[in-house]
Amino acid sequence: MNHDDRELEFIRKQLRSRLPPWNGPELQVDLWPRVLRRLEESPVTFGWFESILAGLAAVTFAIFPELLTAMLYHL
Amino acid sequence: MKSHPYLRAYMAGVLLPSWFLLLVLAAYLLIHFTGRGPAGMGSAIVFPMAIVPNLWGLWNLLYTSLGLRRRVSIGAFGSLLPLILVPAGVELASVLDLSFYTLRQAAAILPMAMAIYYLAWKYAVAFFNRVVEPR
Repeated sequence: MNHDDRELEFIRKQLRSRLPPWNGPELQVDLWPRVLRRLEESPVTFGWFESILAGLAAVTFAIFPELLTAMLYHL
Repeated sequence: MKSHPYLRAYMAGVLLPSWFLLLVLAAYLLIHFTGRGPAGMGSAIVFPMAIVPNLWGLWNLLYTSLGLRRRVSIGAFGSLLPLILVPAGVELASVLDLSFYTLRQAAAILPMAMAIYYLAWKYAVAFFNRVVEPR
């Protein structure tokens, strides 16, 4: 065993002494399908369609403020 | 966190209108104490307090239980809810004899309600669903 091997062995022992083996229960579920599902989900964006909707609603309530009461009735 | 999926869906749906109810109540109190509100406002508060949040919860429960997530966007599904809520509101207003909410106003508010509901469901309810779904 040369000097490098001894050094590596020393580091290995130190790491093992600091990180005890995991004795907890095994994971019961497969997480990979969930990861794939998350990757498939498209990110939420505020696009032109949503901007138009929000703008139209704001303009309508600015022009016809009496509709605001009726809108509050439904929220 | 895998249990009670329908209860979680219902709660995720109820949350936003319940928060918004505070604003509605504040507006109601302001109108009530300034005395400038239309007649029958006290009776009208029943609708946003009792019916709207529960219908949001049930609508989200329906969206989850029917497995529509992959077929219909939650925003589009949520925008259909005013098609039930607005006629129900008109009916309740006529039963309670509320003068401030007429059929003409309901017709005018319907597209606006659908647009606002689309945004609310797409961003808020979808976020709440993601928070409560099992990880």
